[in-house]
Amino acid sequence: MTKIKNLEITGLRGVKESLKLNLDKKSILIYGDNGTGKSSLTDSFEWFYGNHIAHLSNEEIGGRGREALRNIFLADEDEGFININFDDNDLDAKKSINNANKVQTSNTSDYFNEYIQDSGSENLILRYRDLVEFIIATKTEKLNKLQEIIGFSEVAKIRTLLKRNFGRIKKNIKASDYDGRKSVKQATILENLGRNAYSDEQLFDGVNELIKPLKLKIVVKSREGINAVIKEISSKEDSNLSDEINFNGRVKDTIAELKQISNTVNNDYSKFYTAFQDLQKEPEKIKNLQLLALLKEGKSVLTKDVVEDDYCPLCLQEKSKVQLIQELNSRINELEQLAEEKKSIDEQAKELKQIIQIKINSFEAILKDKSFEDDKFEELKGKLNSIKAILNSLILELDKGLTDKIKDPKELNLSEKELQTLVETIVFEIEKLIKTKATNIKFTIYTKLIQTASAYKEYLRLNAEESVLRKQQVTFELLYEDFIRRQEESLNIFLSMFSKDINDYYTTMNPKEKVEDIRLIPLTKNEELVGITIDYKFFDVRRVPPEAFLSESHINCLGLSFFLASVKAFNKRNKFFVLDDVISSFDRSHRYRFAQLLTEKFSEYQIILLTHEKEFFELVSSEVKSKGWLLRNFKWSKESGTGIEKGIADIKERILKKLEDRNTDGLGNDIRIYTEKVMKKVAYELEAKVSYRDNVTNEKRMAPELLDAVQSKLKASVELKEIANIPKIKGMPMFVGNTTSHDNDFQASIEDLDAIWEDVKKMIHSFYCKDCSKFISTILYDPVRKKIRCGCENLIYDWK
Amino acid sequence: MGEKIKSGKEVIDEFFSEILNIKGVDEKTVDMLVQLYGDDKLTDTNIQNELEQLKISALKTSKKDSDDQN
Repeated sequence: MTKIKNLEITGLRGVKESLKLNLDKKSILIYGDNGTGKSSLTDSFEWFYGNHIAHLSNEEIGGRGREALRNIFLADEDEGFININFDDNDLDAKKSINNANKVQTSNTSDYFNEYIQDSGSENLILRYRDLVEFIIATKTEKLNKLQEIIGFSEVAKIRTLLKRNFGRIKKNIKASDYDGRKSVKQATILENLGRNAYSDEQLFDGVNELIKPLKLKIVVKSREGINAVIKEISSKEDSNLSDEINFNGRVKDTIAELKQISNTVNNDYSKFYTAFQDLQKEPEKIKNLQLLALLKEGKSVLTKDVVEDDYCPLCLQEKSKVQLIQELNSRINELEQLAEEKKSIDEQAKELKQIIQIKINSFEAILKDKSFEDDKFEELKGKLNSIKAILNSLILELDKGLTDKIKDPKELNLSEKELQTLVETIVFEIEKLIKTKATNIKFTIYTKLIQTASAYKEYLRLNAEESVLRKQQVTFELLYEDFIRRQEESLNIFLSMFSKDINDYYTTMNPKEKVEDIRLIPLTKNEELVGITIDYKFFDVRRVPPEAFLSESHINCLGLSFFLASVKAFNKRNKFFVLDDVISSFDRSHRYRFAQLLTEKFSEYQIILLTHEKEFFELVSSEVKSKGWLLRNFKWSKESGTGIEKGIADIKERILKKLEDRNTDGLGNDIRIYTEKVMKKVAYELEAKVSYRDNVTNEKRMAPELLDAVQSKLKASVELKEIANIPKIKGMPMFVGNTTSHDNDFQASIEDLDAIWEDVKKMIHSFYCKDCSKFISTILYDPVRKKIRCGCENLIYDWK
Repeated sequence: MGEKIKSGKEVIDEFFSEILNIKGVDEKTVDMLVQLYGDDKLTDTNIQNELEQLKISALKTSKKDSDDQN
């Protein structure tokens, strides 16, 4: 897996001149005030891997954010670029953008392109604004997001394909009304043959019986045999009459087929009408449904961080963004339920329209028959057109919108009785026509044989077609069932393991806080996977969802845990990730534990951790530095844009350098700052008490106060009190003073400062173990032996 | 936990490699789906077109069989 050796950014976002970071595959903690351009680094990364910057992608900034990518002070002829060298040299690449927003990448190999493509689906960047995105997302969004990051989007697509085709075939079978149409054909066979014919054998028996009076000395054993008989007994002079009988037969079948489904159409339209009316009874809701798109757009604006601060972009009133998104989710959820009802009605309408349209097509086909040009069929034609008009009206009603009035089912009733009467009238007409040649037994048999053969042929065709479709339907149903079983099994394994990691990371950051056993739970509706929710035990009671009971800081912790679990589970190509200002809402204890989580559970990863909080930077600097991290400060200047502030990032390094160079300039002050920083950590680990202060001022603790507080705790250990010798440190010149003299340096010789540094180091090493890189801590207090220790027990003291 | 997290691709590949073992499925329909998946052409439109072709082909065979029979 890949780590970064070094990177250089020039002319992108806030970076005007070259910003170089020589990482050598190490993690780095970067501090920079707001506006110093930390996010320029993140944006450049995002562009390198994704060719876009999501939070800049909106209508005003074109090119998916690229138009805001170049530094605005960059000369037209200069390119903006990011150049990354990896531990795998074959992936080294420089991606640049010129003044015309034309993008070029130096590495064009397939190997690199494959790497970029794979990296596109990995979790490489987490910004503060994206932290809670998953946690407060709706259940469907959670499912979609998870499916996306675990590569299950394709699985969902296949599942949808299988389901859709199963549903489509099923609907086609229903709309084609094979049973009804086959029964009409059998009715024709029965009328003419005097029996049904479901098989060739039954048909041939019936035909042989029918032609017996003709004494043809032919025994029909095949359908070709029937054709031979028809040919034998046909007579040209009777062809007009025969055509008329056949025409009547076709009209009768068309009407009879409609009659077969008339009750289904009437019932389905009544159901549709009732559901439609019910929905119309709540006009307010219907009106609100039109707001759904607006609410979704509003949510998108907030989650994409088009609005960055805590206010409502519409009414401009102050409001927590997280709360705003939650409220939008709740309203969207409510309206989506309504939209679901509407969708269900639309589906009903669509299915019914499909059934009706097939019948309209049949009526249109028969109305085009040449025989209808004869005036004697005018009345029949009129009746057929009236029926067709009802069918067309039904389609029109089914197409209407929720604000329209639709016709009562009584007005559009397809009367089965009337259709039956019409069928009987035509059957009577056929019989009447046959009777005109009653004496001609050959003609009567000929007519019956023609109609039987035609009906049987159509019956077989319908049977074969239905059989094919039913096989396809069963196949898709079985495939779908098998597929969802596989999908759910895999998803459950994933959710269970993923939940374990999230739980582990969350409880590491929030120990003993009574939030336990966090789980991602799949939600189903009608056996369909419809979403994912998060539940957890809160004071031993299972709760859902998180936003209902957890504070913003805890929700952020949960979001961070989710991201980190995603990194572990799914990043297969990259062994690094970027965390951009993700601890803003964390309190002090969460921040420190967060740093420990990264250094302990993600030690094999290269982490680029950006923060604008000085206190956090100072709090965790020694922790991460001891684990081999690099520390840097970002600054911004009008001339160069974002750059690295030289020399002050690592105070200890600076002290050692000055001692080596025999440079006393500011050395005393550096030792004081370093001591304050370490004593904050010692005070924290020993639970030394200091007076209460508000917010930021709470972080401004002077060395004397911290030394006093720790000294006070050392009453519990005579041994440690002697070794640490805090009074000696406190008497040193740089620790004598007050806030106003805080930044004032003092004059001392390099020899004095050498000695002071040795004493400070000795004191610090009485609290801090170099072997296990941990401070002695009350968390590691052994009440049986009454000892306090570091992580490995190399430092262990009596503690009473 | 002894169970392995499968990627989406693994789930789909496994499904298509074992699809013919599912009892009661129509072999021709399944072959068609496996072919489309293998060719990276498994879309709704392609499935619909192929199903229609299978239907036409089955109806022709059915007609030919009954014609031959007679």
